[in-house]
Amino acid sequence: MLDRCLGMRRVRQIQRACRHSTVTFLCLFLTVVVLRGTIGAGKFGTPEQDFNEIRHHISAARARRVLEETKPDAGTNTDSNPNNYATFDISKILVDEPPTEDEKREPNAPYTLGPKISDWDEQRRSWLRANPDYPNFIRPNKPRVLLVTGSSPKPCENPVGDHYLVKSIKNKIDYCRVHGIEIFYNMALLDAEMAGFWAKLPLIRKLLLSHPEVEFLWWMDSDAMFTDMAFEVPWDRYKDSNFVMHGWNEMVYDEKNWIGLNTGSFLLRNCQWSLDILDAWAPMGPKGKIRDEAGKVLTRELKNRPVFEADDQSAMVYLLATGREKWGDKVYLENHYYLHGYWGILVDRYEEMIENYHPGLGDHRWPLVTHFVGCKPCGKFGDYPVERCLKQMDRAYNFGDNQILQMYGFTHRTLASRKVKKVRNDTGNPLEIKDDLGLLHPAFKAIKLPSS
Amino acid sequence: MGPMPERPKLRPCVSSPSEQTNDFVSKARSEETNTLCSLASTLYLCSISQTKPFADSLQLNSPKSPANMGQENHHKRSTSGASLPTSNARGRATALPRGRQIQKTFNNIKITILCGFVTILVLRGTIGVNLGSSDADAVNQNLIEETNRILAEIRSDADPSDPDDQQPFNPNATFSLGPKIDNWDQERQNWLRQNPEYPNSVRGKPRILLLTGSPPKPCDNPIGDHYLLKSIKNKIDYCRLHGIEIVYNLAHLDVELAGYWAKLPMIRRLMLSHPEVEWIWWMDSDAFFTDMVFELPMSKYDAYNLVLHGYPDLLFDQKSWIAVNTGSFLFRNCQWSLDLLDDWAPMGPKGPVREEAGKILTANLKGRPAFEADDQSALIYLLLSKKEKWMDKVFLENSFYLHGYWAGLVDRYEEMIEKYHPGLGDERWPFVTHFVGCKPCGSYGDYPVERCLSSMERAYNFADNQVLKLYGFRHRGLLSPKIKRIRNETVTPLEFVDQFDIRRHSSESKEVKS
Repeated sequence: MLDRCLGMRRVRQIQRACRHSTVTFLCLFLTVVVLRGTIGAGKFGTPEQDFNEIRHHISAARARRVLEETKPDAGTNTDSNPNNYATFDISKILVDEPPTEDEKREPNAPYTLGPKISDWDEQRRSWLRANPDYPNFIRPNKPRVLLVTGSSPKPCENPVGDHYLVKSIKNKIDYCRVHGIEIFYNMALLDAEMAGFWAKLPLIRKLLLSHPEVEFLWWMDSDAMFTDMAFEVPWDRYKDSNFVMHGWNEMVYDEKNWIGLNTGSFLLRNCQWSLDILDAWAPMGPKGKIRDEAGKVLTRELKNRPVFEADDQSAMVYLLATGREKWGDKVYLENHYYLHGYWGILVDRYEEMIENYHPGLGDHRWPLVTHFVGCKPCGKFGDYPVERCLKQMDRAYNFGDNQILQMYGFTHRTLASRKVKKVRNDTGNPLEIKDDLGLLHPAFKAIKLPSS
Repeated sequence: MGPMPERPKLRPCVSSPSEQTNDFVSKARSEETNTLCSLASTLYLCSISQTKPFADSLQLNSPKSPANMGQENHHKRSTSGASLPTSNARGRATALPRGRQIQKTFNNIKITILCGFVTILVLRGTIGVNLGSSDADAVNQNLIEETNRILAEIRSDADPSDPDDQQPFNPNATFSLGPKIDNWDQERQNWLRQNPEYPNSVRGKPRILLLTGSPPKPCDNPIGDHYLLKSIKNKIDYCRLHGIEIVYNLAHLDVELAGYWAKLPMIRRLMLSHPEVEWIWWMDSDAFFTDMVFELPMSKYDAYNLVLHGYPDLLFDQKSWIAVNTGSFLFRNCQWSLDLLDDWAPMGPKGPVREEAGKILTANLKGRPAFEADDQSALIYLLLSKKEKWMDKVFLENSFYLHGYWAGLVDRYEEMIEKYHPGLGDERWPFVTHFVGCKPCGSYGDYPVERCLSSMERAYNFADNQVLKLYGFRHRGLLSPKIKRIRNETVTPLEFVDQFDIRRHSSESKEVKS
């Protein structure tokens, strides 16, 4: 052994030195760790940040596994039948043409939605004069409205997400058929830079310019459902406004609260002012550095906003709060009825509403729109438990659908049930029956009779 | 110098004075334990716990050799105090070596555990590590199970809140869609007269209502729902361009007439509730509009009440079960239609009736496989067996593809784009491409999945290009969900609107005709 070679004393010294140095390094390490934990080390971060990062990585990996595992087991299915839909992967068939040269945008040029138009009101007026068959008002108080909604052209990541999109569009089709409104369902991304929640801006501008006969464009998110089929929007209340959103003046202008208004369901008039506000709204949208930086500005300036990239709603709050003199007089923040109704406070009260109230009110007693913010049924993860979201979306859909089915004498068995039951017996004189809500032949759908 | 009579075999090589050795050992030990606990409070705790065993051993040893201990303690404080008891302990080791060792080990363990505990507390304070995270896996497993359970529940047919209302089969009861109505034409005319704001024709075109639908529960696989969504968007686009209203049915109005028969009660109900509607157009969910400009030549059907795509020779000569197609047809809103629906329905009711009817149809129609009665075969059988009663009001349309069987059409889209233009509606540019047999909402189709889905994607994009043309875009290839610009933005967009808006072109052509 070593001690025999070097001598006892030497060995003892070496051992002592080793122990001392071990102890010293250990002390040093612990001191650094503790100091980092308490004071923080600038860009080297704190242990809490490290831990959060690690946890985030692990949970992201785990999360991917969760939803991959919940998908129908493609791997374990030994059925290799080419006619079997369950084992098919859609990405096998989707093919893109490569982008051509002229499509690449100049990287340094500031983003614009399109070339600036300054005389849209005149252009539109002369077009309407030249096309009397396509008036912008169907009746004196009934403007021509185009409801715009949409979803991604790729299948949803959640296996039942597309089913809920089908139910949602059916719900909108029903409301719009009863109220004489046209629908545009968008499944195309017009501008790759404005992806995500910003995709509606280039789309809205394009639709306004391509449909001069449309007086109001009504944007509605795909996760919003109509729950009052009898309520007609009070159009003449907005005769002096160009932009109608659900919100509260105090929360936007005084508090600068990021949820002071909601851009999931809003009305925009087809006019020069709207083109201008779209141009003012767009700059925070372009993907990448601009959107991230804008997000930081918005979090700083707006109350209660969490940290994430810039979204269109926060950008609108900021735009209005800082530009009230310029835009405020033509913006109407509506809160007398639920042009957008946050689902969390509404869905549990449907039975109470059925008992105490009736359709046609549009407000807290019978909401016009129930908007499932945060549920994200098409994606992998929402902000709320999956079961609550999907079950409540079923209830909201049935609640609205009952009002349509009652026209034909049916209703859902319960608010949770897909099955329907007859509530009115068929008779030999069907025309004598008037449906309770008067939705079969409502006044707001009647055609204006020719004056001659 | 301390007494060193016997040295245990533990340290055979130690030749230096025992006190020095013991000094060093104990000093190192105390320093080690101290520093491992890092913070001042922990140091304090450790020192407390450290002195305890030494104090114990001190007390233990003191009565034995007080003189020695006192001298040593006086000189060398804790270290020597530490040394002496150990040396004394060693001296006494002969008497109780095991006990002392056990106690020492036990004390060391105590110290280690205490310091470890304090370290964890400190770490928890700085980083926020929750050492209960080992159950994250269990949480994950729960999440998977929960999601699977929810999805299975949503997909299942069973309704937990419904009682099972399976009605016993009664062979004597004849099925009927509803109470017999005899004077519908008269009633309808009266109503139209009384409600002039709901005329049955708008701007010279009869009012049409497009009816389509799908089963109330999610498809057996997710891709089916995605194509249902694309299909309804395709219909929304066509109907917006041509002023047609849509009803999308997701309810089984009559439990007995489920499946392909579900359209019958719905058609009847809509006719009776909407007297202002002149024509009801049923279209299957797997049929796509592929000619967005083409408009139905309604004036051709003034003398008819039912418009079907079909071929007279296939129907009357060959009695083929695919002589006509009920995936896309028009019914006029009149008494004749109500009567036909009443005559059509009896083969539909689920159960033995449908099975038996299926056998009759297979026996009588050419090429029909054996399966339960479907509405198409039943209608063909009805038109054949009661030809004199019904055929004079039935128009078999084949000059354009009111229904276009997909297999012969989807591969020719590129050729069509090159040679022809929308508005023709026939084999040069089909009006409707109908994906019979693909069944994307089910689990299995009659054709390979890849062929079906890629063809549906092509048909959808082929049609969508015609819609996007007004906005200056088209798809990047018929299989791509992405779009590209084909026309730059301008400051005078209305000139393109005049040029490309389909609505205004179809109505203009209508005026030219009249």
